Amino acid sequence: MFKDLDPLLHSQLRLAVMSLLISVESAEFTFLKEKTNSTAGNLSVQLDKLSEAGYINVEKSFKGKKPLTTCKVTKKGIKAFEEYVNTLKQYINK
Amino acid sequence: MKPGTENLSAQESLDLITDMIREAKGNIQQNAFHFLLWGWVVVSANLGMYTLAKIGYPRPYIVWLITIPAWIISFYVGYKRGKASRRRTHFDQISMWLWICFGVCIFTLIGFGYKLNHQLNPLIVTISVIPTFTSGLIIRFRPLMFGGVALWIFGIIGFLTPHALQPLVGATGIVCGYLIPGYMLQNRKA
Repeated sequence: MFKDLDPLLHSQLRLAVMSLLISVESAEFTFLKEKTNSTAGNLSVQLDKLSEAGYINVEKSFKGKKPLTTCKVTKKGIKAFEEYVNTLKQYINK
Repeated sequence: MKPGTENLSAQESLDLITDMIREAKGNIQQNAFHFLLWGWVVVSANLGMYTLAKIGYPRPYIVWLITIPAWIISFYVGYKRGKASRRRTHFDQISMWLWICFGVCIFTLIGFGYKLNHQLNPLIVTISVIPTFTSGLIIRFRPLMFGGVALWIFGIIGFLTPHALQPLVGATGIVCGYLIPGYMLQNRKA
């Protein structure tokens, strides 16, 4: 019996963001936008969803005079990502 | 990346994860700067010390003061790059603290050098194996790992060499441990 894939992670942009954040200590919004090739509006919405689920921490500050958004994966996010990958492995190995 | 593309296959999901993890990797060529800076500074200091001792200058070790501006440049460049980088990797963090710890140990050794009969050259070359080899391992760059092994060998040679010739052994060790891997890293294709 296969487990269901986490619907929050089983979306192209959110999965891309989580995969990037899992590989780094922290990343700026512009970095995520560039690497995922997404629009600022869409990325912002998806980051909010991940943040509301407690998968990432979003910190807003300033870099000089410019606003700076920095994202970091949480322990809950790491656990969810690991479970997602493990479930994915089951699907691939079936 | 378009919104609402939820119906990913398992293979597509896995490919996406792999691609993004690859994208998140840092630009390892940037590390070459510090190896080249310190490589040239330490080689120059070693050769300078040997030459000053040879011509009978009473305090040949004074040449090591050139490492002070090198520390400042190294910290400044590291700080600027850290600020400019839009992401910080775990490896960046480990690397940075590894080299800071190494620096602290070097300062401690210099401070207590008199207790070690000033036989610091081979000792520092030997200790520098740890951050060099580990950095090579972290960025998966084999020439740097070989550089670490070369430093270890030259550390041993240094201990077996008379005090007056130790700077020459140290300089050769640094050429093999820092400069050659540093240039190879700089010229490596991304």
